[in-house]
Amino acid sequence: MQLKELAAPGSEITVANPNARHNLGVGIFEDCAIRFAGSVGYYAASLLDGPEVLIEGNAGWAVGDNMMSGKITVTRDAGASAGSTMRGGELFIGGNAGARAGISMKGGSLVIGGNAGFLTGFMMQKGRIIICGDAGEALGDSMYEGAIYVAGNIASLGADATVEEMTEDELIDVLTVLEARGITDKRSFTKVVSAKRFYNYDSLERLEKSAL
Amino acid sequence: MCGVSGILHKSAGFASGLSPVGEQLIRMLEPMTHRGRDSSGVTVVGEDLEGDLVVRLWTGSVREAADVLARAEETVRRAGGVVCSSHHTGQFLRLVVNFEGETSELAAALLETPGVALHSIGHTSEVIKDVGTPVAMDQRHDIGAIRGTHGIGHVRMATESRVDVNHAHPFWAYPFPDVSVVHNGQLTNYHKLRRMYEDQGHHFQTGNDSELIAVYLADKLAHGEQLDDALRSSLDDLDGTFTYLVATREGLGYAKDEWSAKPLVTMETDDVIAIASEEVALRGILPPGMEGEEIDRVEPQKSEVMTWLL
Repeated sequence: MQLKELAAPGSEITVANPNARHNLGVGIFEDCAIRFAGSVGYYAASLLDGPEVLIEGNAGWAVGDNMMSGKITVTRDAGASAGSTMRGGELFIGGNAGARAGISMKGGSLVIGGNAGFLTGFMMQKGRIIICGDAGEALGDSMYEGAIYVAGNIASLGADATVEEMTEDELIDVLTVLEARGITDKRSFTKVVSAKRFYNYDSLERLEKSAL
Repeated sequence: MCGVSGILHKSAGFASGLSPVGEQLIRMLEPMTHRGRDSSGVTVVGEDLEGDLVVRLWTGSVREAADVLARAEETVRRAGGVVCSSHHTGQFLRLVVNFEGETSELAAALLETPGVALHSIGHTSEVIKDVGTPVAMDQRHDIGAIRGTHGIGHVRMATESRVDVNHAHPFWAYPFPDVSVVHNGQLTNYHKLRRMYEDQGHHFQTGNDSELIAVYLADKLAHGEQLDDALRSSLDDLDGTFTYLVATREGLGYAKDEWSAKPLVTMETDDVIAIASEEVALRGILPPGMEGEEIDRVEPQKSEVMTWLL
């Protein structure tokens, strides 16, 4: 039976032997719980709005792509572009994330238990990325808004990314998110934001301006 | 899009015999068929020909295949070699030859033989490639029966050049015995580098940009470079997007571009090194009973090079 047909509010679904196949659990809008008993392939749990998804294994490229709301947990590693363009909800990766995690993300929380790869947070526009391990090269390259918190080392900052002091409220927020994931040994972080030196945009969109 | 795969048996060798590398490459390629159905190919390394060379040729006409085979045999003899065995399956020709001279001379002579496309020359390896899916290729060429120590494979979705047998991967690093590559990506400085290498006397058989990588490595090896140095320098010299694998007599390697544009995952167990575009391919070779198990796979990132030697 199609996963989409099984997904009703409150339902609990287990997918046995997903075998790293692509496009599993895409476009599910019901508040249900879905468990993948094994690795998934590309675009797993993408276009999600509501469900709580547990992936017991690795995920391929673009897990949680464009999630609107919901919760995704990957127990092991994720491939490149995890949480690409996500707008809300929480994506947790227990292991390492590949290149370009959180590319163009527009909201929500991306939490990486291990290390994050090259170009993490590339062109990020909103939301937050928390990295418990080390961050790869060009972190936060060309980001517009949002914040990246790194507990480990940063190989290098991307274009127009800069380190900023973290407020106490922010730290409490980050610690709360991590505690909910059972991570209590990370207590200090480097916060990375856009320096906005290349920031030559109006704050209003064209149609908004014409309305004034 | 394309899919690449590679496998190396660590304990392989004369003591433990050869492993079912052909079958494993097909089992890795088949679940990646969605990455390309235009053509498929493998290089299997490990057969010991005791100094002889295996030559893989293709000809455009089924009807003339027997004549072309006879011409190729004649070419080998005229170059000073001895044909130990020869046969053709349709348009695919295979010769085992005893040849004491420079492989480049034999390769050049074969290329001048009318009707011949040269897919590989090797002491311990051969390139087998065809149009269509890996399963179809296996049915036609019985890849599954070929044993070896290591090998590489490819499924192709053509982007830059035509679809036919000769434009399928792997590409042999003419005229270097036992060196071949499979590639996922596009090279943007192909024409510039091709002109440069042609001016230096290198030979290209197709219009496929991936063939350039084979020629590039051949040139580096000809200048005495080690394989991992050649892979590393390719990160600077090749423009565009690439994840490619190389098979040599001694082992396997990969190089991945500075943009991390094309996927690759690797898995190492006590017995094997397995490399593929996707995890689903790595899962294709898990032993019975292990299918649902979690595996430790590593996703290389940017500007990375790795080699494994037997």
